[in-house]
Amino acid sequence: MKKYLEIAKIHFKAQIAYRFDVAMTMVFTISKILFAYILWDAVFGQNETVAGFTFPMMFSYYIISSFLYQIEMSDRVSWEVSARIRDGSFSKYMVIPVNPQRYFIAQTLGAMMFYPLFIFASTAAWVVLFRVKLVIACDTAVIAAALIMTVLGLLFMIQLNYLLGILAFRFQDISVFLMIKGNIVAFITGALVPLVLLPRGIVSVMRFFPFYYVTYLPSMLLIGRNKEEALTGIAVLAAWLLLFTILNKYAYSKFRVMYDGVGI
Amino acid sequence: MEVQGKMIIQAKKLSKTYKLFEKEAGLRGSIKSLFNRKYIYKTALSDFDLEVNEREFVGLIGPNGAGKTTLIKLLTGIIAPTSGELSVLGYYPNNLEYAFKKQYAVVMGQKSQLFSELSAADTFLLFKELYGIPTDEYQRNLDYFVKLFDVEKLLNVQVRTLSLGERMKMELIVALLHNPRVLFLDEPTIGLDAVAQKQIRMFLREVNKTRGTTIILTSHYMEDIKSLCKRCVVVNRGEKIYDGSTDALFEKYQTHKKISLSFSEATDFVLPQGCTLVDQNPQKCTFMVPVEASREVVYSLIQQYNLRDIIIQEDDIGSVVERIYGDRQVKRS
Repeated sequence: MKKYLEIAKIHFKAQIAYRFDVAMTMVFTISKILFAYILWDAVFGQNETVAGFTFPMMFSYYIISSFLYQIEMSDRVSWEVSARIRDGSFSKYMVIPVNPQRYFIAQTLGAMMFYPLFIFASTAAWVVLFRVKLVIACDTAVIAAALIMTVLGLLFMIQLNYLLGILAFRFQDISVFLMIKGNIVAFITGALVPLVLLPRGIVSVMRFFPFYYVTYLPSMLLIGRNKEEALTGIAVLAAWLLLFTILNKYAYSKFRVMYDGVGI
Repeated sequence: MEVQGKMIIQAKKLSKTYKLFEKEAGLRGSIKSLFNRKYIYKTALSDFDLEVNEREFVGLIGPNGAGKTTLIKLLTGIIAPTSGELSVLGYYPNNLEYAFKKQYAVVMGQKSQLFSELSAADTFLLFKELYGIPTDEYQRNLDYFVKLFDVEKLLNVQVRTLSLGERMKMELIVALLHNPRVLFLDEPTIGLDAVAQKQIRMFLREVNKTRGTTIILTSHYMEDIKSLCKRCVVVNRGEKIYDGSTDALFEKYQTHKKISLSFSEATDFVLPQGCTLVDQNPQKCTFMVPVEASREVVYSLIQQYNLRDIIIQEDDIGSVVERIYGDRQVKRS
């Protein structure tokens, strides 16, 4: 366990190596909130509510979901794993005493670690300086459920992307798989549009899939809505996580023998 | 007298065949390959036998594509053999067991374990945890290698700003922190200048001698092999064509020296008897001379021509391999 903590630490250190990058990330985070404010202000206009959301509720939803979307950096895993398999540098994970899958989990968690700091700082700035109202759930059980769901969601997404990445052992090019996954995930996680705006039938089908619980449901829970779905969400995510853990173990042991390590 | 340890690497009839995708050039070839995919099979290693004892320093030499890197990849478990038996430190490498991986290290000249954005010291700390090295042992090893390489001032410098030679020193320290029993080195001196090459050689010799680390080294540089490895294995087209004393190999097969002359003015150069011309123009000339005649030839050239420069080089590895290969073909026929 300690070695994976060290892997997370070194990737966190690499993430904050350049001051300009760090500063730009902060500027980007703050400006994103500004654009969202302008956009939703225009959408609401004179209306009190849109699709059952008040303006502060919608704005809070946007801040929370975009934060979760930003820390969900698992995309890197599939791109990096597949690129390393193709150029032969995946060998470096095979010759050290680590489980490559856990290495990438630790790496992703390490890289995302510093985003929460910026998000909290910039959100606090908006709330204090511009007196923007934030709607946050008061129930600690709901907040705990949302946090557990967030962690399970992040782990599931890393597992999914790792599986897509190691497909490069078998297929020369996996960019089509990644493109399809990217489009589906962006839509289903509700990162673009709250899912309540979609037909009810589609949303109920989505509830059997994990993506609904990755960004959308934790965001809704944190603004005090959809409490009744919390336990189901955790159970569904845990089941998918378990399934993908087993699937990855099987796929890695089956596919890695196809690796030629070309390029070294 | 040097004491050799027990056998720690054993390969019997080891073979590796790669399946390669083949496509005709041009647009037509690309479209055709969508419907009718062709594969070819390339044997990178064939019926290869190898035995290495603990504490040995073995050189693996051969031209590009000979199978040296494939052999290193098989020995470290990166790839699985197509057929044959293989045991390294009592393990089947491709099972990738942690207990096995903790006993060896591999340094690949063009692939790095260092984090370029961070300092080498950060990577050292990571490897301390990866290998579960106790703090006192880690500190002892680090102090030893840092002193040996004289890199104390570079420890906290961002890796990307280090020179190639400095980076290779750091790579070697990373690899050796956990006291591996076997060290695999794939072209560790590639691209380095003469000074850095010499330092790396001194370091490797010291590690082999004082720490008893078994070292398997592939290199294109004759000097690496000659100065470090008592034993060398020559690989060509996936086959082992020589396995024995390095001195005997070079004595028998390094039969020529390459001489390059630069003239002060345009010169009508006459090739000395028994020499083979490689390249010639009025300002320069390069030719091969038999080793036993080299002294005499150089002496007479200095007397005879107005020379601006003269460079004398050893036969390269490629020529030596060609001669061994040719010799084997003759014996077979």
